[in-house]
Amino acid sequence: MTPKPVSYEQLWGIFACLILALLAHLGSLPVWVLVTVAVSGGLRLALARRGRAGPPRALRLSIVAVAIALLFVQFRTFNGLSAGTALLVLVAGLKMLETETQRDIYVITLSIYFVSVSALLESTSFWLFAYLIGVCWLTTAALLRLTGTLPLPDWRRCLRYSGRLLGQALPLALVLWLLFPRFAGPLWHIPEDGHSAASGLSDTMSPGDIDQLALSDEVAFRVHFAGAAPPPQERYWRGPVMHAFDGRTWSRAYSGQLGAPALQPQGPAYDYTVSLEPNQRRWIFALDWPSHWDLADAALTGDYTLMRRDPVSRPIDVAATSHTRVQWTTPLSPTMRERDTRIPPNSNPRTVQMAQSLRRAHPADAEYVSAVLAMFTQQPFYYTLTPPKLSDNSVDAFLFDSKRGFCEHYASAFAVLMRAAGIPARVVTGYQGGTFNRFADYWIVRQSDAHAWDEIWIEGRGWLRMDPTSAIAPERVEHGAGDALNAEDALGVGWRGRMHWFADARLRLDALRQLWRERILFFDQDSQQKLLEWLKIPEPDGHKLVLLLAAALTLVLCWLTWIVRREVDTSRKELLVRIYARLCAKLAAAGLPRLAHEGAEAYAARVALRRPDIGRAVTALCRHYSTLRYAAPTAHITVGQFDAAVRAFRPTARPKSSRRRTYR
Amino acid sequence: MRTIRQAAIDKIRAWSARRHGLDSLPIKINRRRIYILPTRFGIMLGLVLAAMLIAGLNYNSNLGLAFGFLMASVALVTMHHCNRNLLGLQVDVTTEVDAFAGREARFEFVLKNASNVERRDVEIRCLTASGICSVAAASSESVSVAVPVPRRGITRIAQFELRTRHPFGWFNAWTYVQGSLIAHVAPAPRGERTLPSAAGAGSGSRSEVRGDEDFAGLRAYEPGVPLKHMAWKVLARGGEAAVRSYTSLAALPEWLEWSALTGLDTESRLSQLCLWVLESEAAQRIYGLRLPGREIAPAFGAAHRFACLRALAAYAIAEPR
Repeated sequence: MTPKPVSYEQLWGIFACLILALLAHLGSLPVWVLVTVAVSGGLRLALARRGRAGPPRALRLSIVAVAIALLFVQFRTFNGLSAGTALLVLVAGLKMLETETQRDIYVITLSIYFVSVSALLESTSFWLFAYLIGVCWLTTAALLRLTGTLPLPDWRRCLRYSGRLLGQALPLALVLWLLFPRFAGPLWHIPEDGHSAASGLSDTMSPGDIDQLALSDEVAFRVHFAGAAPPPQERYWRGPVMHAFDGRTWSRAYSGQLGAPALQPQGPAYDYTVSLEPNQRRWIFALDWPSHWDLADAALTGDYTLMRRDPVSRPIDVAATSHTRVQWTTPLSPTMRERDTRIPPNSNPRTVQMAQSLRRAHPADAEYVSAVLAMFTQQPFYYTLTPPKLSDNSVDAFLFDSKRGFCEHYASAFAVLMRAAGIPARVVTGYQGGTFNRFADYWIVRQSDAHAWDEIWIEGRGWLRMDPTSAIAPERVEHGAGDALNAEDALGVGWRGRMHWFADARLRLDALRQLWRERILFFDQDSQQKLLEWLKIPEPDGHKLVLLLAAALTLVLCWLTWIVRREVDTSRKELLVRIYARLCAKLAAAGLPRLAHEGAEAYAARVALRRPDIGRAVTALCRHYSTLRYAAPTAHITVGQFDAAVRAFRPTARPKSSRRRTYR
Repeated sequence: MRTIRQAAIDKIRAWSARRHGLDSLPIKINRRRIYILPTRFGIMLGLVLAAMLIAGLNYNSNLGLAFGFLMASVALVTMHHCNRNLLGLQVDVTTEVDAFAGREARFEFVLKNASNVERRDVEIRCLTASGICSVAAASSESVSVAVPVPRRGITRIAQFELRTRHPFGWFNAWTYVQGSLIAHVAPAPRGERTLPSAAGAGSGSRSEVRGDEDFAGLRAYEPGVPLKHMAWKVLARGGEAAVRSYTSLAALPEWLEWSALTGLDTESRLSQLCLWVLESEAAQRIYGLRLPGREIAPAFGAAHRFACLRALAAYAIAEPR
């Protein structure tokens, strides 16, 4: 077989498809790779347009060598998804430079397919999936134009044909996807890509950190409670706990201590599933205080944060149990006590001074705490998203000057006041509250629900949660940040709150997203087990799954063979006669049977005479029939369209008045 | 490598010939005789699909798997469409053609598609030659395949094949048809000797021969008659196909004689005779052909010419059974 040269038009089509597939990698690939591909493709196209061949071989090879070397310098490896994809993309793009024959384009289409899959491997987005299916559709249509040897069919017909192919492939793909056995873990270790940005709460907390988050509508996680949900004032989702304070910023002190102290659970247990969105952080937001979870590589730290070994880089589901009320049974160790009462010397002197004078007035811990909270409510403190910038002694500035702050200001100031009085205190960051999705029975916790609160150690009772924000803005805890900030409308939540249809639509969309996640993204061995159970297959196991797959594949392939062959088994003439017979049957049912000697045109004329109301339609249909049957190649209507028209044709019963007239 | 491949192909051809026996043309291609295999590009696609599957399983990515499975299903559907592209096609061909050595024998194939789907890019292969065409729904298309015939004689083609790579070139579906195609390959017209003039032509002697000068009545149709001599009006009236017969006044027939070409070898003699046949025909003479053991009576016209050329083609060669 001699290699067939490609035309400018074919080149153009395939290049467009390559670029569309690459767009799916926009965020994950180095920009210079995309630019290189675009430039080399564009160059080749420009040359082809003038009817010239690609650049000479030596030049091409040196460009490829330079590009691959650059790639290696950037990634240091070709192992791993990003590096491997970048290499593939680069090679496919540079292949554009030397496309002379059909075979080169075949290679490019194959790499388009693979590039699409690699974009999907670490993605969870429905839209990306739909987009890439679209790209695959286009590429397949372009391929159709490539392999055709005779005058190429136009784009629209190619798209229609490849769309039909995709449609016919759908049942088969569905069976394979549902029943192909899934493995519990990866076949081999996947190198992690280190350059995805972390989002959400971080290891440290400075004034202004959380109010940045509060502007984000991004979903942090979703929670489904197996039974009743705890009341809002108990829905605290625990994240990293901060111990060290440098006068402005709180941070986690890595004590290296794992293994949480034992707790005596009190009150009801809550079973729930947290569906975490990827955030590149290691902690899992569990309800205060978690006792069980189903994640093998997660453990509680000494301060009761649930931590994973690896960052959450893809969505995970964690089923857990928590008790919102607990009794502490272990005492606070002296080192811990020392750590949680330390304030940097010479920082925030006014606060320390005030704490000491207040402590002298209230020597009992409980009274001191009440006095501090009373100070927050009595003095003109404001809960706001737009607090003024604070100096290094942030607590002094906040307590005595601005008196305006978000939750992290209150939590920070409260902890410092406690520590200054010798009460061990720590700042807990996490999320509080959440929006209930009444369309699908789960809670949505967004970044805007990020929160900071305190825990103080009271001898005999253990760590107690104190939320100073609730003293200033109780509605923050009851209804969420959006309601608490309604007055100043910094979130822009106000107008949304007034537009109920908008809120509802958002919730419905989110419910769909959760369904997508549950049914599609998290489809695994267990789901297959459930599927077999649902099909009433006794003792489902992997073996039976494979048998079922084989049986289903056989059935679908038989169906496929049938629908594909059906189109050529009946001749066009038979098909037309069958459709025409259906039209005649419909008219016969309406009281106008075709006479044996009547041709289509004569029949139509007679029907038009007897039933002027449907005369025009019948005449048109009969004319289509004659055209298709006897003047096929020039007909401007297809057999399919004729079939649809006959199906849609409904001769209504004869109007009563006209019937009476004919009887007379 | 090449020879192993060729040997395998020959084995399949022979097996298929035994399996289906001799086909009578026209033939409708049924599903039992269509074979299908992936092309080299199809195998590459298979490897890419396998890579997609492994990547999807390894990354535990349901979306990657879904895309991979969709592509695999598209490939399977494509296989069915490729197979269907030949299914139910009706093939006919003119089984006997005439040609000159060193040129091509043109076999006219007719592909008839009664179904309601277009058959795209169907290739017909005879030996090394091929022709390609698409047949629209409910229509037929003719393809001519020019088989090079280097040597004089009777070239017989026991088998031809129809193949297609539609739609994407991932699969190659083909079928063998056992129809014996015959090309009568006349010698290449060549030679230096001049055309002999009518031997012993008396000045007044005339013989009435069929010609095209004066209308002489109607006679029954026979193949090879020039279309302009057809009696269309008679045919239109519902009569038998008839030909208007003319007489022409011509010289005595000339004889193209094998024995006149002394001093040449067999093939050169035949080539010279072939050239004379063509020249006589072009000059509208009446000629006869005398070969050792064979004599064709003087006449002229396309049918006569073919008879002469076939006699030259078959000279000293076993007759086709």
